[in-house]
Amino acid sequence: MGNCFSDVQGGKQAVGGVQRKPTAATTMTHNDAVDFFYRSQGFQQLFTQIELSLSAFNLCDRDITSKSDPMAVVYAKKIDGKLDELGRTEVVLNSLNPTWIEKVTVAFHFEIMQPLVFHVYDIDTKYYNVPVKTLKLEDQDFLGEATCVLSEIVTKQSRSLTLNLHGKSRHTGLRNLGVLTIHAEELVASRSAVEMILRCSYLDNKDLFSKSDPFLKVSRIVESGGSIPICKTEVVNNNLNPTWKPLCMSMQQFGSKENPLIIECFDFNSSGNHVLIGKLQKSVADLEKLHKGRSGASLTLTSHHGHEKVLKGQLFVDQFFEKEQYSFLDYISSGFELNFMVAVDFTASNGNPRNPDSLHYIDPSGRLNSYQKAIIDVGEVIQFYDSDKRFPAWGFGGRTSDGTISHCFNLNGSAGSFEAEGVEGIMTAYASALHNVALAGPTLFGQVINTAAQTAGQSLSYNSNKYFVLLIITDGVLTDLQETKDALVKASDLPLSILIVGVGGADFGQMEVLDADNGQRLESSTGRVATHDIVQFVSMRDVHGGRISVVQALLEELPGQFLTYMRRRDIKPRPLHVAQTSG
Amino acid sequence: MFSMASSTLEITVISGEDIRNNRKPVKKNAFAVIRTDSQPLCRTEMDKDGGSYPYWNEKHNVEIPQHARFITVEVQCKTSAGDKTLGMARIPVSDFVGGFVPQSYLHFLSYRLRNSNGERNGIINVSVKAKVPEYAASSCSSTATTIGVPFGKTPCYGGVVPGVPVGVPIMKQYYQG
Repeated sequence: MGNCFSDVQGGKQAVGGVQRKPTAATTMTHNDAVDFFYRSQGFQQLFTQIELSLSAFNLCDRDITSKSDPMAVVYAKKIDGKLDELGRTEVVLNSLNPTWIEKVTVAFHFEIMQPLVFHVYDIDTKYYNVPVKTLKLEDQDFLGEATCVLSEIVTKQSRSLTLNLHGKSRHTGLRNLGVLTIHAEELVASRSAVEMILRCSYLDNKDLFSKSDPFLKVSRIVESGGSIPICKTEVVNNNLNPTWKPLCMSMQQFGSKENPLIIECFDFNSSGNHVLIGKLQKSVADLEKLHKGRSGASLTLTSHHGHEKVLKGQLFVDQFFEKEQYSFLDYISSGFELNFMVAVDFTASNGNPRNPDSLHYIDPSGRLNSYQKAIIDVGEVIQFYDSDKRFPAWGFGGRTSDGTISHCFNLNGSAGSFEAEGVEGIMTAYASALHNVALAGPTLFGQVINTAAQTAGQSLSYNSNKYFVLLIITDGVLTDLQETKDALVKASDLPLSILIVGVGGADFGQMEVLDADNGQRLESSTGRVATHDIVQFVSMRDVHGGRISVVQALLEELPGQFLTYMRRRDIKPRPLHVAQTSG
Repeated sequence: MFSMASSTLEITVISGEDIRNNRKPVKKNAFAVIRTDSQPLCRTEMDKDGGSYPYWNEKHNVEIPQHARFITVEVQCKTSAGDKTLGMARIPVSDFVGGFVPQSYLHFLSYRLRNSNGERNGIINVSVKAKVPEYAASSCSSTATTIGVPFGKTPCYGGVVPGVPVGVPIMKQYYQG
C-alpha cells in the first residue's frame, strides 16, 4: 500500500536567495520525520460531509379541507442550547407521508458530539409560491420536533434513524405526531483517491559542488488565481533523475480530475529557501494520459521578462491508478466498533479525596473534578460507536482492600469482571473505588497498557470488527518510562489507540515523549520500533482556557489511527446485506 | 502447541528507512537477507531506485526450526568489494508467535537496525504471518463451534487477508471465517 502525502500547512516557499547545500543530517531529519508523519496521517481528512435525506410518516393532519403541506428544518444545537439552522427541505404538497427530495448537508466531526434538532411545519397555502428560504416559520403550523446526535445516524448499518415526533414542550407529547426518518450518506467524492509514482529526468543542477536534492510540490489552483498546496514528496538526495515514493491524493484534495494542478520541482535547502528547478501545469487526467502514453512532460521556468523557458528536465508518471478508499464512516456503518476503556490514576500525589484541594475530590454540589470531566467528555462522544456499551475500567497505583498496591485493579472492585455499564457505570465505579482504595504509588502505566493490549489481542480470536481506545488519566510523572515504551511498542501492532490526559500542575514532559507528534518513533528496550503512532497526549490545563476542548484535541487523530490499522491489513468494510430501518 | 519439526512463516520484507553506509545515505542497490542462526532463508531483490529508503514489499515463505528464538534481518548493499552488511536487527520469535492474538494474525513489525559497530542505522519494516498447517486448521475449525476454548490452545479461525503489493489495485472482499 502506498504512502499518502499531504501538506496543507505549506505556505508560499521563498525562491532565490543564497544557494546553500543542506547537510546530510538536516536532510535525513527532514526525510525521516516527513516520511513517518505522512504515514501516520494516512488519509487524514479535516472533516467529512454528510448528506441528510428526510422522510416522515403519519404526520398530524392540520388542514381541514386538505392534507398538510409539510416542510422540515434541520438545526445544530449549540452548547448554549441555541439552534443554528443548517438547511430546509422543499414543501411537499398535500401529504401526510412526505419523502423530501432536498438534502441537508452537515459536516461530520468525529471528535465532537453533534446534536441535531428537526422541526416539521405545515406550510400555509398562501405561501405556496414563496421560496422556502424566505418563509417565516412563526407564521406556519408546527407539526412536531425530533432530536438526535449525528453519530447515532452514521453508526447504524442502514445509516437511517427513525424518531418519534413530539411537541415543543414535552408535556403535550402524549399525542402521536408521527415519525421522522433521517438517512445519512457520505458524499461520494471523499472516497476516490489516486496513487502515482512520479519521476523526473535531466533536472537542472542547482548546487555548485553537488547535485540537486529535488522534491515535488503539488498545488490546486483556486478561482481567485492563487494556489493551495495539496501535498509534496520526500526529498531525494543528490539526484538529477529522481523517482519519488508513491504519492496519494484524494478527490477531496484536487477537486476533480480536470482541475489544473501546479507541479513544482524544488532543490531542497535546509535554510528553507528552496530553489525552483522547474514547474508545469497538469490536471490529474493529463497525468493519467502521460502514464498511458509513457511520455514525459517538460518542466518550464518563467524568466524575469515573463518568457517561459522550456527546460531539458521532464516529468514522467511511472505508475497511475485510481482506487476507492473506504472512509472511517464506511467501516463504522458496516458494523465496526470503537470499544472504550478507562484507566484512572490512584497515586497519592493526587491528594486525599476527602480534601477539597484533592484532584479526586467529589464535590457534594455535583461539580465534576478533572477525572470525572475527562471520563465524561471522551465517553459521551465515543459511546455511540460501541453497541453493548460495556467499558473496561481500571485503576492503577492504589492500595486495594487486600492491602497490596495494584497497578491494574478493576475499578468496580470485582476480582473477575472489569467492565462497567455505560459512562454512568464508569462514574459510579470511580466514586465507589475512591472509598475502597487507598491512594499509594508509584505511577506505572506498563501494566494497564499490557492488560488493554491483551483485551484487544484476545478480541481478534472472535471477530475483527473491534478497535479499542484506552483513556489513561494521570496527574503525575512516570516511574516506568521504559516499561511503558516497551508496552506501547508491543501494542502498536494491535487494534488499539491510547489517549492520555494529564490533570493537575505536574511537568508532563515524559508524556510528550510518548506522544509521537514530533515524528520520533517510540523504540523499545529490545530495539523494536512502534509500527505506527497510537498515543495522543493532552494536558487538561493546556486546553482549559482555549476554545478547543480536551476531547477534541484527544479524539481528532483517532479516525486516522483506526484507518491506518485497517488499510495496512487490507481489512475492508463488510458488504451491506439488507437495507433496514432501525431506531 | 503443534508438534512439528519446523514452522512455516510468510514474511513480507516491506521497506527500510534511512539506511547508511559509513554514515552516508545509501544511493542504490540495497537488499535484505533473512536468516536463522547462520543459515540464510531468503533475500530480496536489490532496490535500484529507493536509495536510503529502499522499498521491496517482497513476500517469502520460509521454514524456521521449532526451537528458533530469533530471526535475523540484514540490510546489505552491493559494493565493488562484494556484498556489505549495513545494518542488522533481531526479531524475537515471541513477537509474532504466542501472545493473545490468533496464531495466523498478520503482524506489522519494525526494528532498529544496528551496524557492525553497534551504532543505530535506520529501521527495517516487515510483516510476518505464521502459516497454520492444514490438519491443524481443520482441527481448529472443529473447536470453533465449541463454547469456550480449552486453556492453552490458541484459536486460529478468523485471520486477515495480507496486504496487496503496490501497483496492483485488487478489490478484495474481506472474509471472516
